[in-house]
Amino acid sequence: MIFGMWDSTLFHIGPIAVDHLVVTEWAIIALIGIIGFMATREMQVVPRGLQNAWEAIIIFTYDFFTQLMDKEHVAKKWAPLLTAFFLFILVSNYSGLIPGAAHIEGFQPPTSNWNVTMTLALITFFAVHVAGFSEHGGHYLHHFVSPSVAMLPLNLVEEVAHPLSLTVRLFGNIFGEEMVIAFLLFMAPFVVPSAIMGLSLLLGAIQAIVFTILSASYIAASTGEGH
Amino acid sequence: MGVALGAGLAVSIAGIGGGIGMGVAGGKAFEAIARQPEVGGDVRTLLFITLAFIETLTIYGLLIAFMLVGKA
Repeated sequence: MIFGMWDSTLFHIGPIAVDHLVVTEWAIIALIGIIGFMATREMQVVPRGLQNAWEAIIIFTYDFFTQLMDKEHVAKKWAPLLTAFFLFILVSNYSGLIPGAAHIEGFQPPTSNWNVTMTLALITFFAVHVAGFSEHGGHYLHHFVSPSVAMLPLNLVEEVAHPLSLTVRLFGNIFGEEMVIAFLLFMAPFVVPSAIMGLSLLLGAIQAIVFTILSASYIAASTGEGH
Repeated sequence: MGVALGAGLAVSIAGIGGGIGMGVAGGKAFEAIARQPEVGGDVRTLLFITLAFIETLTIYGLLIAFMLVGKA
């Protein structure tokens, strides 16, 4: 394994190689999709059980983004994407903690590979600019030359630095955490790793929240009235 | 030997800076919440964003360490 890469192509769809990470992502998407489907299958006005929990997640995240982004119509438009980010990253961070996951060849959390985190960061990158253009139209381009034309290179560097830092933050945290757990498992196979695994429950949730909050604040900055 | 030393230094020096920065930011945030508990939610959100930015710099160091170890 070199630098988070694990060469284990499972099969090909046309020219595209499908490896273990893509299959894990499909499993995560299927899991979230099935829970969502079960929760909304027989919807009632007064929710109970799974529907109640699902509605609580949606309402909590929606309120949170509305408070964070000032403009309610922007928050309403982008809350589904941001909530999807949160759920996907949370479940994939936790997927490395399934008992026995370390013993299956090629099983690793998708977010501990930088290809996956860069894909997520690029989705944010495009979402930010789509949100900016749909909010301000052509006037959005002015913010690249504000406060003056001399700042254009610096603004462009900033636009590249945002997705890059999102990529590296999520990848570095989850990959580092996986490496620490692997090293502890190698040194002491029982009991000892459970301490750091408990810590990684917390870290996985924090990283999911941080990625979502930062994406939300980038979208809020591009749709805001500052430019 | 040199590569191992470099990897250790990369992550430890990055950790010192990030640790000091996070300590200052976290301490000030607690002071603010203790003084005005009603702004706790806003301060907490801002604190998370700030800590994420600080942490990124430390993670860059960690990444360099992994790259050095992977190369050796």
